[in-house]
Amino acid sequence: MATALTFDPVTLPTAAEALRNEVRQFVAETLGNEHRRNSDFGASHDPEFSRALGQRGWIGMTWPAKYGGGGRSFFERYVMTEELLAAGAPVGAHWIADRQSGPLLLRYGTEAQREFFLPKIIAGECFFSIGMSEPDSGSDLASVRTTATPVEGGWMVNGTKLWSSGAHRNHYMITLVRTPTESESRHAGLSQLIVDLRNSSGLTVRPITNLAGDAEFNEVVFEDCFVPADRLVGEPGNGWEQVTSELGYERSGPERFLSAFRVFVELLREVGPKPTDHQAAVLGRMAAHMMTLRNMSISVAGMLESNRNPVVEAALVKELGNNFEREVPEIARLVAPGGGSALFRQTLEDTILHAPSFTIRGGTREILRGMIARGLGLR
Amino acid sequence: MNETTQLMLESAERLLRDACPKAVVDQVEAGQRPDALWAELEALGLLNACVPEGQGGVGLPLAEGLTLLRLAGRYAVPVPFAETLLGRALAAEAGLPEVLEGTMTLAVPGVQGDGYAPVPFAPWARWVLVAQAGPDGTVSFQCLPQEQLTFSEPRKGLAGEPEALLLGGAGKGPTFSSSLAPTLAKLQGLLALSRAVMMAGALESALDLSVAYALERKQFGREIAKFQAVQQQLAVLTGEVAAALRAADAGLEALGSVREATAWAVAKARAGEAAGKGAEIAHQVHGAMGFTHEHQLHHRTRRLWCWRDQHGHEAYWQAVLGRALCAAGADALWPELTGSA
Repeated sequence: MATALTFDPVTLPTAAEALRNEVRQFVAETLGNEHRRNSDFGASHDPEFSRALGQRGWIGMTWPAKYGGGGRSFFERYVMTEELLAAGAPVGAHWIADRQSGPLLLRYGTEAQREFFLPKIIAGECFFSIGMSEPDSGSDLASVRTTATPVEGGWMVNGTKLWSSGAHRNHYMITLVRTPTESESRHAGLSQLIVDLRNSSGLTVRPITNLAGDAEFNEVVFEDCFVPADRLVGEPGNGWEQVTSELGYERSGPERFLSAFRVFVELLREVGPKPTDHQAAVLGRMAAHMMTLRNMSISVAGMLESNRNPVVEAALVKELGNNFEREVPEIARLVAPGGGSALFRQTLEDTILHAPSFTIRGGTREILRGMIARGLGLR
Repeated sequence: MNETTQLMLESAERLLRDACPKAVVDQVEAGQRPDALWAELEALGLLNACVPEGQGGVGLPLAEGLTLLRLAGRYAVPVPFAETLLGRALAAEAGLPEVLEGTMTLAVPGVQGDGYAPVPFAPWARWVLVAQAGPDGTVSFQCLPQEQLTFSEPRKGLAGEPEALLLGGAGKGPTFSSSLAPTLAKLQGLLALSRAVMMAGALESALDLSVAYALERKQFGREIAKFQAVQQQLAVLTGEVAAALRAADAGLEALGSVREATAWAVAKARAGEAAGKGAEIAHQVHGAMGFTHEHQLHHRTRRLWCWRDQHGHEAYWQAVLGRALCAAGADALWPELTGSA
């Protein structure tokens, strides 16, 4: 039997449940009525909110205390993130740094890099973007062409990165580049550099407006952009392994099935206490999917906690979760009675406009299914 | 899972691999009772898994014993496994030693309040545990010899196994209640859970068969597993199987907790949905070969189609969940879903 099917049961520890109440209370006190609640992790950028989370110790929760981290379990981080997402809190600013840039530095970074970056991330004052895709490299990430040439004291970077969310306002971008290599392998000669988005010359960040009218992701052009030697992450040429490990953190979290959650909440409000049989069944189906996905996602948190590398399991959670969150608005528009309140329409329309990205960001549906098929031994 | 359960599952799997091949399932579906298979299941003590040790059973808690049903699904075991396993656990509480031998089935009011659900394997059962609901929702039982009851002409359901409607009969046995299922709702929930676990097992098997077939069948000069269209479909099937397994296991884990009724509704609804989608993909991957009687895929898929409708189909349990959420209200949705209200 395929091992990817084994999602061991996990009971959240009491420390995690205690934290849940703290986070709930914090959100209730902090988010004003005017905040447009959205469970899509990328929906809003609010440095002030991120700093407030940092002050509570809710960024870098699992990282070692010597860098200011909380030394807490993946389960506690899981609960904290799912509570913030479910409440529709503005988590976009620090999300990438907390989820993957920090863990990448912990695993592959130098001691100096950790000491420099991690405390700032933890304080909610240092935000990261992802520099992976390029105009001609999307799903086929190993085909990236941005180069970093060794020069006195560092690297000279040339090329273009694309779809880098938040690069127009974040501080740093971990950038996947080609560095010199003797090897013919397309996975060789890849390296990761921490690029300072605010203090580099030869760097142009151009926001790209998406179909919803938001300028959220960017084109980042490097023209003889100098990056100091001490900003290389890990070994030169080890980028493929590093980037793959980074993607592992990306795929199994609650953000992969909660993006449309506020639509579910507002749909329930529209339907009210006396649903028709059809409405009850439709709402119950969504609940059954969500509870099962959450259960699977917590199980993956358990695998991360015990230092396993659940690549296929994470792909399964993301594939199922993304399909679910794309389905939610499609269902909501058909079962809501009447046109719905202004809040319902706004929430629904926001989600419809962003839903196409759910099954693309962090690995397309097709790529994930390919990974699952590899796990089955088909390729 | 405790060690006894683990050992029992391992020996059950070894037994079923040998004692429940396609030929045995075919025989049952042709109307022949699988006496040899039954004798082996009895000899290993599987059907007494949840009977207390003092009464000659294994003494496993229900949540552990019901994990055996995953194997019943995986091997399409053509006997009233769930009914006997659960029925004996209930009857043991009343201290009725004579009913702990021989096939047992259950006559239980249907979830939609339309009389008794069709009784699985009624024509072959030695004992029928008849559940009677009181006006306050409690349930009492009588365990009666099958010949004391009147049944309709048996028919074959989608699974190819015999079932019949309970028409009446004069019961001469004692009436008892059970702490395992004090209410009709709990009894129906346990039976829904049993089907969810069985479906999860049948889905695992359908996936294994599909992967093996895709790696073996060649077209256009290569294994069909090498085609992305087939790989993508098998990945979707894998997702459905994984979700069904997790939902069913979560139902077992919740047994005895305040969340059990919700977890069982989720298990039946989610596994039932996976059953339909999963059977469709498994057949598509198998092509015409899977549509033949000769291939064993249909032993799994016909059971999936049968079990998803027994003890409440998806829409029934979805609506149960949905009504509870509506009653709690929009702002309670998240606490309800996470069990942290």
